[in-house]
Amino acid sequence: MKKTKKIILFLLGFVVLLWICSTGIQVLVRNMPGSVQGRSRVFASVSEEPEQTIDVLVAGDSESYTSVSPMDLWKKTGIAAYDCGQPGQRIQETYYMLKTAFKTQSPKLVLFETNTMFRDPGFLKNVQLSLTEPLGYYFPVFRYHNAWKALFDGPGGLKNSYKGFEIRSKVVSYEGDEEYMKETKEKSEIPQIVKIYMEKIRKLCRKNGADLLLVSAPSPKNYNCKKHNALKEYASKHKIPYVDMNMNYREIGIDWKKDSYDRGDHLNIHGARKVTEYIGKYLTENYRLPDRRNDDGWKEWGELADQYFKELKKI
Amino acid sequence: MAYQSMVYGFAFLPLCLAAYQIAPQKWRRRVLLGFSYLFFWLLSGKLIVYLLGTTVFVHCMGIWLDSIRSEKKKARRVLTFGILVLLGVLAYLKYYNFFVENVTGIFGNALPFTLAEKKILMPVGISFYTLQAIGYMADVYWGKIRAEEKLEKTALFLAFFPQIMEGPICRHSDTCDALYSGRPLEAENLTNGYIRIFWGLFKKKVIADRLAIGVDAIFGNYTSYSGFMVAFAAVAYTVQLYMEFSGCMDIIIGSGQLFGVTLPENFRQPFCAQSAAEFWRRWHITLGTWFKTYIFYPVSMSAPVKRWNQYGRKHFGKYVTMLGTSAMALFPVWLCNGLWHGARWSYIFYGMYYFTLILAGIAVEPVRDRILQVFHISERSVGLKFMRIAKTWLIIFTGELFFRADGLRAGIYMFRSMFRNFDLGNLTDGSLLELGMTKADLIAVVVGCVAVAVVGFIKERGTNVRISLDRKPVFMRWSFYYVLILAVIVIAAYGDGYQAVDMIYAGF
Amino acid sequence: MEKLMNILKEIDDSIDYEKEKALIDGRILDSFGVITLVSELEDAYGIEIGASEMTPDNFNSAEAIYNMVIRLQGN
Repeated sequence: MKKTKKIILFLLGFVVLLWICSTGIQVLVRNMPGSVQGRSRVFASVSEEPEQTIDVLVAGDSESYTSVSPMDLWKKTGIAAYDCGQPGQRIQETYYMLKTAFKTQSPKLVLFETNTMFRDPGFLKNVQLSLTEPLGYYFPVFRYHNAWKALFDGPGGLKNSYKGFEIRSKVVSYEGDEEYMKETKEKSEIPQIVKIYMEKIRKLCRKNGADLLLVSAPSPKNYNCKKHNALKEYASKHKIPYVDMNMNYREIGIDWKKDSYDRGDHLNIHGARKVTEYIGKYLTENYRLPDRRNDDGWKEWGELADQYFKELKKI
Repeated sequence: MAYQSMVYGFAFLPLCLAAYQIAPQKWRRRVLLGFSYLFFWLLSGKLIVYLLGTTVFVHCMGIWLDSIRSEKKKARRVLTFGILVLLGVLAYLKYYNFFVENVTGIFGNALPFTLAEKKILMPVGISFYTLQAIGYMADVYWGKIRAEEKLEKTALFLAFFPQIMEGPICRHSDTCDALYSGRPLEAENLTNGYIRIFWGLFKKKVIADRLAIGVDAIFGNYTSYSGFMVAFAAVAYTVQLYMEFSGCMDIIIGSGQLFGVTLPENFRQPFCAQSAAEFWRRWHITLGTWFKTYIFYPVSMSAPVKRWNQYGRKHFGKYVTMLGTSAMALFPVWLCNGLWHGARWSYIFYGMYYFTLILAGIAVEPVRDRILQVFHISERSVGLKFMRIAKTWLIIFTGELFFRADGLRAGIYMFRSMFRNFDLGNLTDGSLLELGMTKADLIAVVVGCVAVAVVGFIKERGTNVRISLDRKPVFMRWSFYYVLILAVIVIAAYGDGYQAVDMIYAGF
Repeated sequence: MEKLMNILKEIDDSIDYEKEKALIDGRILDSFGVITLVSELEDAYGIEIGASEMTPDNFNSAEAIYNMVIRLQGN
């Protein structure tokens, strides 16, 4: 019994140490922009935003942050949105990304790009993510641990980020079938793990007073009618609004010759601006989101927008 | 699910431990077996049939051999049959394509039939469990052990999950008692086991996986490098391989310890070796022991070698006889050692490299002793020891260069390019930073290596690190544990910017 | 026993065979020493030593070697 007590005491001490390390590394991350690189970058950057300034969170994999440009949205509607997607984001990451953002922000809407909902990395990887993501959330030292390297290497360079959005001006046309959404009765399967975590995400949004909106960004490479059917069924079953921009990409004005970044996988800046305009309209029509353009607390957003449009002129 | 993965250490192991503890004593070995097969299935899927087939075959052979032990000749034939079947399967899976490639390469279209290369999937760990299976049959044949009567026992001996991927290669008598007994878990084993696992993670994730970046950069594009950079690659790969293999071994032996199973050690400070032969008594020990027990001694005790021994001593004197015997017994050992690593000429070269060096070591021994005597140099002098260790390091680094190189031709190219444009200045002029490792990575590697070297030095002096830690006050002991675990969490190469690196030896 | 001691001394006369109890485990006799020893023993006692006898236990001390020889002679 004495030994068991000792082990418990040891583990308690360990948790305290983990907590101390986590606090320490967060101080480092905050004071050294660029010390966190790669996929965890956005976790750090969304946490660094001034508290209670974000009204819309855009979540998902790379389809999300290449399609919605917060600065265009800001200019047109005054909605304060932030792209917090990650490349190849898994559903577990989405959940803990949102949880992290909710710590300092109270968004009214979570706009979730649906491509993540078809990602299933397999049993072992799912188990792993379900272990590491909560660890990274409760003890940020796991997520940001590589930041110690910045002490020796200096902070890494960062591209200009406009509330999570980067300007990608390259054009590589999509030459494939424009009728990629040809109608069918078949349905893709949404993986079990996604269903479990979507349930958690819905609960999380409800608890934090945020609406959930599912959005499919135009992408011939990632979408087809089978996926559309599956998402539509899922959305109506759980009473979540769903917007599939692949169904009306012509109306939005997407030209696959000019608006694709990499052969119909992601949109470039031109495509993103068109999609953002469409989403702006949709949001103003369907939600009552505040216009922050004249609020004192959001001055920095106006300045950033000016910088954004200046950079746009250069391309 | 590699041993260094989070899922193994912190989901699979705890689940297995819990199931083991809950189960009644009699059932515990079945729990271990069940988890072992689950582990194998997660790694290799359907290929588990090879393991199951080998298990049933070896089990039956064991019982058969046991029943005819008194009929020496018959038992010998049965044993030969058993070994040939197991080696046949291994050879087919491992060497078929190599064989085809070389046969068609030599004879071209002159063959009356066509051999096509096949895509063969090899179950993980087959090189390890096949050796254990052969050892088991030979031990029964020799009367060292009785054959297991229960299939589940033989199955667990061959499939015990911590050792199935990378060894250590056990003899039946090493592990059977602890494996089958189903003793309850003990707090002490749990803590010691997990500390050992973290020590292994430290070696693997802090050092080996970082060095992998630089090593892959040079070996993957070897024509662009010469001189110091190639030498650096040889040293870095040797360090990587050691940290990787011995680190995984720490995780494996630690895992065994959790269940109270003491697996044999595979490393004993190999870089303190004073000769190539001694190096192999300290590096991948269980493979060396296996070769010694089941190839070296049987060959050197075989009738032809004994006959040579008698004939030689009469006609050529002791020295020549000794050399001849050594060559005859060592050649098959080192050929097998090379081939065991895989079907590549560079591995065969690697085996022959050590065969030549070790034989040369035996050959010059009398001369060396004479020189030492003439110059009054003591065997124990520090300078001599230092020289010998340095010489052995050169041998090791060169061997590993050929071992890692992408084929024998690449190995020779790299070896020669090492003597071109050798510039020690590369160490400081930033060339190392162009390999994909940052300054922080190199610092982590150096600090990590120093830590491992210090522990190795303490062990080499004969101190048991575990026991001496236990004697320290709780405060010191716990601080050491905390530092170790936090080092793994903070400075290990995982997460942003790092790719998980597969275990090297699991590929053999 | 005396005969055995002479054989042992011939292989390596720097070892104190009366006291040494870990000839193999202590790496005092290497594998080639053992092989030479085996062939000497076979000649001297007219026995046959098989590969299965090659265990440290059988060679760790002069006494152990002697016991093995006696056992094999008895067969």
